[in-house]
Amino acid sequence: MYRKALTALQRFTLRLDVAINRVYPSDWNPLYYTGGLANLFLFILVLSGIFIFFYYVPSLTGAHPSVAYLTEQVPYGGLIRGIHRYAADAFIVAALLHLFRNWFTDRYLFSRDSPWISGMFLLIFGGFVGATGYILVWDERALAVLGLFDDMLRAIPAVGDWLASLLLGGRGLSEGTLPRILLLHVGPASLLYVLLWWHYVRLRHPKVWPPATWVLVSLGLVTLLAAVIPAVSGAPAQPGTRPEAMPLDVFFLLPFWLAGLLPPGLVVALVAVTLGAGFVIPYLGREAPQEMGVRHAGVAQVIDGNCTGCELCYYDCPYNAIVMVPSPHPGLSRAAASRKLLAVVIDSRCVECGICIGACPFEALELPSLLEADVTRRVQEAVAVAEAVRA
Amino acid sequence: MSTQAATVRGGAAPKIVGFVCDWAVATADLVDGAGRLLAYPSVVLIRIPCSGFIRPGWLEDALKAGADGVFVVGCPYGDCLNREGNYLMRERIDQLQRRLARRKVPAERLQMLAHGLHDREAFLADVAAMVERLQALGAGAAAGGPARRPAAARAPAEEGGA
Repeated sequence: MYRKALTALQRFTLRLDVAINRVYPSDWNPLYYTGGLANLFLFILVLSGIFIFFYYVPSLTGAHPSVAYLTEQVPYGGLIRGIHRYAADAFIVAALLHLFRNWFTDRYLFSRDSPWISGMFLLIFGGFVGATGYILVWDERALAVLGLFDDMLRAIPAVGDWLASLLLGGRGLSEGTLPRILLLHVGPASLLYVLLWWHYVRLRHPKVWPPATWVLVSLGLVTLLAAVIPAVSGAPAQPGTRPEAMPLDVFFLLPFWLAGLLPPGLVVALVAVTLGAGFVIPYLGREAPQEMGVRHAGVAQVIDGNCTGCELCYYDCPYNAIVMVPSPHPGLSRAAASRKLLAVVIDSRCVECGICIGACPFEALELPSLLEADVTRRVQEAVAVAEAVRA
Repeated sequence: MSTQAATVRGGAAPKIVGFVCDWAVATADLVDGAGRLLAYPSVVLIRIPCSGFIRPGWLEDALKAGADGVFVVGCPYGDCLNREGNYLMRERIDQLQRRLARRKVPAERLQMLAHGLHDREAFLADVAAMVERLQALGAGAAAGGPARRPAAARAPAEEGGA
């Protein structure tokens, strides 16, 4: 069931690519750069956020007027606020596209679980940063979101009350609340960069930025949106009241919308189960190992005697799975006799792609179930078969 | 579409060995048991884990063994499952084409293709174009034979005056 659905979704994703690649050269297909786009939007968020930070006053009476001052009095303040707002939406859209695309195209197999797990943490922290951002505006919606957040935290058994007082800075609202929310907005946002380090650490040349064209298009898009549909605050928050309705942001506030319909405990459980399932995805596996055939050819092995320590495999491995160590003894072949370094494959990082085999000019690397001898034999057979056709 | 393409003019269908990345174009229902393309039986496919797995020497070996042409199929550029396999392979093939050009082996005999899992029409079109080009070139990639190394022997004599 799960596998069938994934196969169908993969088919859909790749057929979509075929269509898009007819329009753009495939190097520019925006769906190949969802991760880079998310990173770009995060960068825009950091820059615009620093600007906003200098004007924001985190107090119950000062927050709403300070945001109004930023929007109306500061030159380009409203525009930059709008950019911050729309870049946040674009960030979460790009991140979700990134998640689904990599899920549907099997990019979580073997050692790729490390980027997947760090990606789940990025999503959780990104969503949390978005929600606290809405509270900082301190209008009616902010108050409603904070109230629902408080309800949901309190619905967690055992530690709920403690978590809620951590969020609010004590029992109920106080002057300590907004500084704390500000910290919970900026702190996890900075933490995203720590998580990004984890996200990239196994990758040799991660595609961190999209092509220049898409950078300009994305910048233009958020600026245009910010100019045409300015980001505005609602009426100032009146602590003690609860607004009946609020404008909804589908990208960040979905759990809060659910909290209006379902009991808060159920929403917390739903969110927890969804995120928990996300963490399990790389370990479900889509195919049994024997079904993977040539795609599961075994961890690359270094032929010690042939390795010359030339580092070509080390530079080409896309997963940093090869390290060069000081050679403990000379190699056997003539080229390897005076080597200084020896390539070592770190098993847990190898995805069995065989790129190091293509990189090695000295026959010093092999995939255990697809040896060079196998390939050579199959080439000979193929030529013979082709010859037979012609005869 | 398979049968009308199967009749190759002149009978001298070029022998082609194709390496196909297992994540790239799906060929399960395009080939017979021996790996021959149904549409072009003189084109034989070998599946590999990633286009970057190919050592350029193997392509040279295939030509020396008597193949008229060799191609490698990777995923569309930008979409390699391992991010770089197809770019690396494209560079290696460019390099090999330049190297073989010195031995008077035309670049048409070595091709890098990039087609996604469901791109089979475009893939077959590329193979058809390659078959056509090789037919125009005529047989004998390694015209000098596998053992001789004509470039090494001839090149100094040719360049001697220059």
